[in-house]
Amino acid sequence: MIWKWFIFAAMAAVIILAFVLPSPMDPRLSLGPVDAYRIFYFHVPAAWVAALSFMVGMVQSARYLKTKDMDFDRRAVAANRLGMAFSAMALVTGSIFAKMTWGEFWNWSEIREVSIFILLLIYGGYFALRSALSDDEVRATFSAVMTIIFTVAALFLIFVLPRIYPAFSQHPSDTIVDNEGKMSLSPMVALVFGLSMAAFTALYYWLYEITVRGSRYFDKNRLES
Amino acid sequence: MSISSGRGYISYMYQLEVADLSKSFGPRRIFEKVSFSLNTGQGLAITGPNGSGKSTMIHILTGLGRASSGVVRYTHDSNMLSFEEYRNRMSVVTPYHEFYDAMTALENLDFYTRLAGLEVTGQEMMESLRTFGLGERGRDRVAAYSSGMKQRLKYALALLRRPEILLLDEPTAYLDQSGKKGIFDFLDSVKSRALIIIATNEKEEAGFADHVCQLGG
Amino acid sequence: MPTMSVNWAGRILTVFKKEMLSEFRTRYAFNAVIMFSLVTLTVVSFSLGMNRPGPEVMAALFWVVLFFAAASGLAQVFVKEEEARTAGYLRLYAPATAVLVGKIIFNLFLLVCMAVLLVPLFVILLDTVPQNFILFLSGLFLGLIGLSGSTTIIAAIVSRASVKGALFAVLSFPVLLPLLVAAIEITLVSLVGGNFAAAWPPLQLLLAYDVVMITLSIMLFDFIWHM
Repeated sequence: MIWKWFIFAAMAAVIILAFVLPSPMDPRLSLGPVDAYRIFYFHVPAAWVAALSFMVGMVQSARYLKTKDMDFDRRAVAANRLGMAFSAMALVTGSIFAKMTWGEFWNWSEIREVSIFILLLIYGGYFALRSALSDDEVRATFSAVMTIIFTVAALFLIFVLPRIYPAFSQHPSDTIVDNEGKMSLSPMVALVFGLSMAAFTALYYWLYEITVRGSRYFDKNRLES
Repeated sequence: MSISSGRGYISYMYQLEVADLSKSFGPRRIFEKVSFSLNTGQGLAITGPNGSGKSTMIHILTGLGRASSGVVRYTHDSNMLSFEEYRNRMSVVTPYHEFYDAMTALENLDFYTRLAGLEVTGQEMMESLRTFGLGERGRDRVAAYSSGMKQRLKYALALLRRPEILLLDEPTAYLDQSGKKGIFDFLDSVKSRALIIIATNEKEEAGFADHVCQLGG
Repeated sequence: MPTMSVNWAGRILTVFKKEMLSEFRTRYAFNAVIMFSLVTLTVVSFSLGMNRPGPEVMAALFWVVLFFAAASGLAQVFVKEEEARTAGYLRLYAPATAVLVGKIIFNLFLLVCMAVLLVPLFVILLDTVPQNFILFLSGLFLGLIGLSGSTTIIAAIVSRASVKGALFAVLSFPVLLPLLVAAIEITLVSLVGGNFAAAWPPLQLLLAYDVVMITLSIMLFDFIWHM
């Protein structure tokens, strides 16, 4: 397990650079304190990992239904557990940023903010369902089916809501992507941001594998005791 | 291939194979590596003390329950039957299945036979109820039935399907002497053309079986 | 080996008729849904008091009442089968799809009954008259189809769980959210007298949602029913 040290080094570098470098935002265009925009190095990767994790959970659930192999259930649970943690992280960092720049923690018309909140509701429902089912196989199957229903509902939300409310988004990521000068993605910022994305993704993968191995170990011991 | 019609029975050879069947609930092992095979015309008694997994075994054999490992296979001419195929030939009597309280016995029978696609007339349903001593009570709601009457009703439903596979868990539970006699007559009449599995500890019931599968020690 | 043809329409109808018969005699789900919608409506109109909120709020309140009333009773179709231990024979005698579709239709019937009672009360108590009534009814009906189509399978899921009622609402809400957003939008357009063209995008969404969710339920139901 050498490369967990690489994750450590990359994370440490991201954290230091995020605070040492100048803010990624042009001070003339900044809403609120310009340093608030440093959160972008952590908020965006956390949101990305949350979305990635949701997809991993969905794929593993589908594989479980196809094969009925308990290992895929463990993988789905690991993905959803981490997805929940990273969604919470994205939600909290996003709210702090919103308070500093737009003046309020919460805005129901902000689609991305609402989406991540719904994602948390979905995870809450998923784990509530799991704890209410006692048989292992029933629990695995029902929660996998529920994950797929949730995913389809979430697709409806993500792709269709912005069309119904086209005017609502005031989220800065629109401007990061098309780079119209509001947020200056200088080469250095892009590098640190890229490093942060890579480090978060690698961290996620590492945590995911460790969680899966942990629950395998737990289940094996439970059966043998 | 032919289709059974009217009251006539055309019997087919079915085979049930059970190989290395194990079941555990979490860390608790119920039974392990149970194997047997059975043909139409044969009976098997599953015996064993309380908690040895008799009911669990029946539940798995109906196809509704799942084993932890092992194989359950119903075959006909060595073709494996799907769940849909074998449950259409199966009747099940267990303490864990109930009828709809709010409906009468006849409405219940009508409901299940329609669902199964059996063409059964009201006359035949009445006859079936009469066979098990419920002839007068067909229009009563099941809520007003005693445990023994509900048990008889389960056999009335089983009879209507003309089962070729019969799974019974404590077949004479709640029944009085006349009830038991009715059940034994019924078992006698189907024994030659059905594959029968009985989970029981009663000597009299186990007498219908040619083979015994002892669980739990 | 005898083969049996499956008459789907006949079996779905058999399941639906059974639900109607036992519901007519016990009125378990019916009473829950009707009473819950009345209570919620009363709470809403009571707490509004003299205030007369705009059509945006009215459209949202209308669907909030519908959602909670539905959450109170729709799980019954499967919960009562498990509690009365009738699910076993149902599994042994009925094809899974017939059970699901029969129960979706029954839940839809329950919701339509509720809407028949609720809509006039809503108009009277909250003094809100839809200006485009045809559009209002179209949105309402499509919404109710989606409501029963997507939650009946969730009812089957929670029927095996230890905390049924609360779990049903918790699991249904995220699934119903796209439906609620679209339905509220259509109701709003109908309240202010807009035409079908103005409500076309949410109507399309609602239609797609209904078709996708019912298809998905039918595809996934086998996994749940035969556990």
